[in-house]
Amino acid sequence: MTTVRKRYRVGALPWIGPAMAVIFLMVLYPAFEMIKTSFMSIDPTGTSHGFAGLSNYRTLFRNPNLTAVLERTVIWTISIVVLTVLISLPVAQILHAKFPGRRFVRYALIVPWAASVVMTSTSWLWILNGYYGVLNRILLSLGLIQDQKQFLGSQTQSFTWLIVVAIFVSVPFTTYVVLAGLTTIGEDILEASTVDGASGWQRYKNIIFPLLRPALLISMVINLINVFNSFPIIWVMTTGGPGYSTDTTTTLAYKISFRNADIAQSASMATINFGIILLFIVLFLKVSRWRDDS
Amino acid sequence: MKRMTRGAAVTSAIALAVTMAVGITPSHAATTLTMIAADYPGDGHTQQDQWTDFATRFHAANPDITVNVIVKSWNDIDQYVATQIASGQTPDVVNKGDYSAPAAAGLLYPASKIVSPATLADILPAFLNNSKYNGVVYALPDLASARALFYNKDLLTKAGITKLPTSWLSLTTDLGIIHRKLKGIYGYAIPLGPEEAQAEFNIWAGGNGGSYYNYATKAWVLNSPANVATATFLKSLTTKGYTEPNPDKCDRTACAQALFAAGKAVFINGSVFLGSWLKANGGAKLNVGTGSFVSNTGHKPVTLGVQDYFTAYSKNGNQAAIQKWMDFIYEPANYAKFLVAAGGFIPATKSAGAKAASDPALAPFIKLLPNAVFYPGDIASWNSVKGQIQQGIGQAVTGDPAKVLGQLQTAAAAAK
Repeated sequence: MTTVRKRYRVGALPWIGPAMAVIFLMVLYPAFEMIKTSFMSIDPTGTSHGFAGLSNYRTLFRNPNLTAVLERTVIWTISIVVLTVLISLPVAQILHAKFPGRRFVRYALIVPWAASVVMTSTSWLWILNGYYGVLNRILLSLGLIQDQKQFLGSQTQSFTWLIVVAIFVSVPFTTYVVLAGLTTIGEDILEASTVDGASGWQRYKNIIFPLLRPALLISMVINLINVFNSFPIIWVMTTGGPGYSTDTTTTLAYKISFRNADIAQSASMATINFGIILLFIVLFLKVSRWRDDS
Repeated sequence: MKRMTRGAAVTSAIALAVTMAVGITPSHAATTLTMIAADYPGDGHTQQDQWTDFATRFHAANPDITVNVIVKSWNDIDQYVATQIASGQTPDVVNKGDYSAPAAAGLLYPASKIVSPATLADILPAFLNNSKYNGVVYALPDLASARALFYNKDLLTKAGITKLPTSWLSLTTDLGIIHRKLKGIYGYAIPLGPEEAQAEFNIWAGGNGGSYYNYATKAWVLNSPANVATATFLKSLTTKGYTEPNPDKCDRTACAQALFAAGKAVFINGSVFLGSWLKANGGAKLNVGTGSFVSNTGHKPVTLGVQDYFTAYSKNGNQAAIQKWMDFIYEPANYAKFLVAAGGFIPATKSAGAKAASDPALAPFIKLLPNAVFYPGDIASWNSVKGQIQQGIGQAVTGDPAKVLGQLQTAAAAAK
């Protein structure tokens, strides 16, 4: 009996082996290298000078911009994930309804998702340009503003616009996942609720929304990871500036590494980043399961 | 049958491997040099063509040496070189704007080993002086640039200003006149965005007796009183609306030069190549004048000299091949081609410099060079401090000057 089971296990290796190799080479090994680098002393030329203990972390924690960047990363991630879901739910509902031209609208929604994020961000960068941007042109022509506005000038404005663009990029994916969830809900359940006299809102709250939970949870976890690690939108539109005022931990890690030429300190930022995203996911799964139990 | 086939396959595979091995084994020692070169503005993308041409002709003359030249944009080159070194693929020759960090790390051949004595003797001593680390020349200057004050003559006439400002006081007055008379025009475009904030601030600070590094005390002095006063002065100009809004977001090319090209800015700090850049970017019809920068009362105006370098890494041990290649680059005919492809810079050799002095586009800059201040490029941590300055110094003008410069000073003092 045991020998059979053993042979069965070994026999599975050729099938799971490639997947394990990929996980080891592409996920675990780089993560190990990153954590190792964060404890090394590496000079600006890229030459390693051996083990440095916690000194990279100490320097990082002395960075006067770090606290603000951490706070901003939390605001960035949560606001985008939540707002994306709030927008995607009604949009998916509309796309689920039957109307002439629905197919066209569904295709149109794919565009911001299918386009490279760098392309989308570059378009927005020029739309918002303070001297030649088309948004300034439109608002001036409508008489809504009197002077050209620097939309990406101040910290508050540019950070708000970054969030808007990030939502714009995340909505299509989330909408499609919700839409897929909607198509799995059987017509018979909905019909039965109508027969029982449920109003539209009651039907949505008590039947549709609970049945969408699995789809929503998946899309939210994926968005959480994507948004947290999002680099191109911020980098293309503001490079985290002015100064460090629109940086998240991801762009800060990049700057420390490639602008300030400190690879090891950047690795310590990336390691902390890694920890934060794990924490985010664990917290999220806990919160969502807790709701399940009640 | 099956086994037979497999045996045949193995045999032929071995045979194939043996022939291939024989095929690639060279009859004499061949060397491949890797060079990473920065992409100078030029007139379009001429630089890759120039390096390919050099490598082809060099290989024809030296069949045992192959040179691969990788051209990288200025935005990417520092990162690319650092990544190559960190991953063990150290290049042989690098052409970019700094040398001190690899020199301090002991990665470089000294200049005397990478060119022949004759070539070394042809390089201008003033430039070699800026290429030393601990007294040894570790880098070869490839070319240099200087800055001058560029102004839009027509706009200045429109504002009724007939004389260029000579002090910060008269500059403020003139900018005030421009602000009142010319709506929608910015008096002075000051690009303190990340692209080149270190240059812009260095010129202003230099005109107030400030600098980044004090060679006497061997310490960074980013928050010296002179620098804080400079940032405070620039802040006052910005607050009054005499400059473009948000100078900390304004990059040199996309913002300051673009505003100038569009006739929306009167004064700008321009490099030797600004003239040709304007021609290619919509500013061909501008009536442009050049002059010296404006300094604070009691200080001399300065210009900023910037030189770039060839450095050679010793890790691959290709010293002899590197020397042949570098001598080839500095041959007058080739060096002239390099300068043309790079696009109107100041040459670093005596032979080419003599010719450039009669070039009307370059002559005014060459005249300014003796009073030029240079970056503290010989300090090992310069490249990393430069990164900090580029990211942060703009905020000294939009935020609290003393606080922001103080933070930069702390970071610079800790930089490796």
